[in-house]
Amino acid sequence: MLQPLLIIAAVEEHGAAASGITRIFEDFGINVPSIIAQIVSFLVVTFVLYRFAFKPVLATIDERQHKIESGLKFADEMKAKLEVAARESAQIIRQAQLDAQKFIDEARKTAKEFGDRQQAEALQRAADVLTKAQQAIGLEHKKMLTEARAEIARLVVATTERVLARQLTDADRSSYNDAAARELTSL
Amino acid sequence: MAVTKQTRLLAKQLFKLSFADGAVTSDQVAGVLGWIEKHQPRHPLALLRTYQRYIAAEVARSRAVVEHAGPLADATLRLIEAAMTRKYRRPVAAAAQPNAALLAGLRIRVGCDVYEASASGQLAQLSTLN
Repeated sequence: MLQPLLIIAAVEEHGAAASGITRIFEDFGINVPSIIAQIVSFLVVTFVLYRFAFKPVLATIDERQHKIESGLKFADEMKAKLEVAARESAQIIRQAQLDAQKFIDEARKTAKEFGDRQQAEALQRAADVLTKAQQAIGLEHKKMLTEARAEIARLVVATTERVLARQLTDADRSSYNDAAARELTSL
Repeated sequence: MAVTKQTRLLAKQLFKLSFADGAVTSDQVAGVLGWIEKHQPRHPLALLRTYQRYIAAEVARSRAVVEHAGPLADATLRLIEAAMTRKYRRPVAAAAQPNAALLAGLRIRVGCDVYEASASGQLAQLSTLN
């Protein structure tokens, strides 16, 4: 910090005596050719560094930046595609769910119709069996009544025959015979 | 034993010869039997059996068997005989045959025809009415 202040003070002290930049160069010990040589060497070094160090590094950086941008772009595209795929898969899943629900509804409906049909058929079969059983019972009842009637008639006839054989007198039989003879001879 | 056609024809001819005044008479039958005995046709046993069957059928047709239960007046029998003679237009002789199973009434059989008016017949009809 003190050195610039001293330089300024020295310049102010000798400002009047010496003139121009030449005196300053002399006072500070500046050698112009040396400075020019340093500038040239600096430029050469700068050029060499730029040409063989900075430029490949920048190219590599640009290439990496490009790759990164490509990767990001690819990632964005992939993300977009993924979103689209997700939407499509969601749509497909939704459609599949709808289809599955539709199939389930149809299966339930078919099962219900089948069950109803089976139930109706079972009821019809039961009704048929009941009707046949009733008919069989009716026929059996009728047959039983017929048999009972025949048996009763047989018993009545047998009893009547026994009673008649015991109760009819010869006079009754003679009278009956005369009436039968009249009936048969009038044919 | 099989009866040949010739035997049957001969038996029929002999049967026709057994009639006198539209009825089979014992004299005619005796004459036919004498002819058979005298001439000895072929298969005499078969001929006699066939002839006997024809005569039996004709006798049955000319005879009214009157089955009865209880007493049957002779006048009633004659009445039946007259009625059957009129009906069949040939002499029909009535013969009484007691049958207690009839209970009361008559059953007249002429050949294959049966006429019945009996208590057992009416009861049998009742038992079949179902």
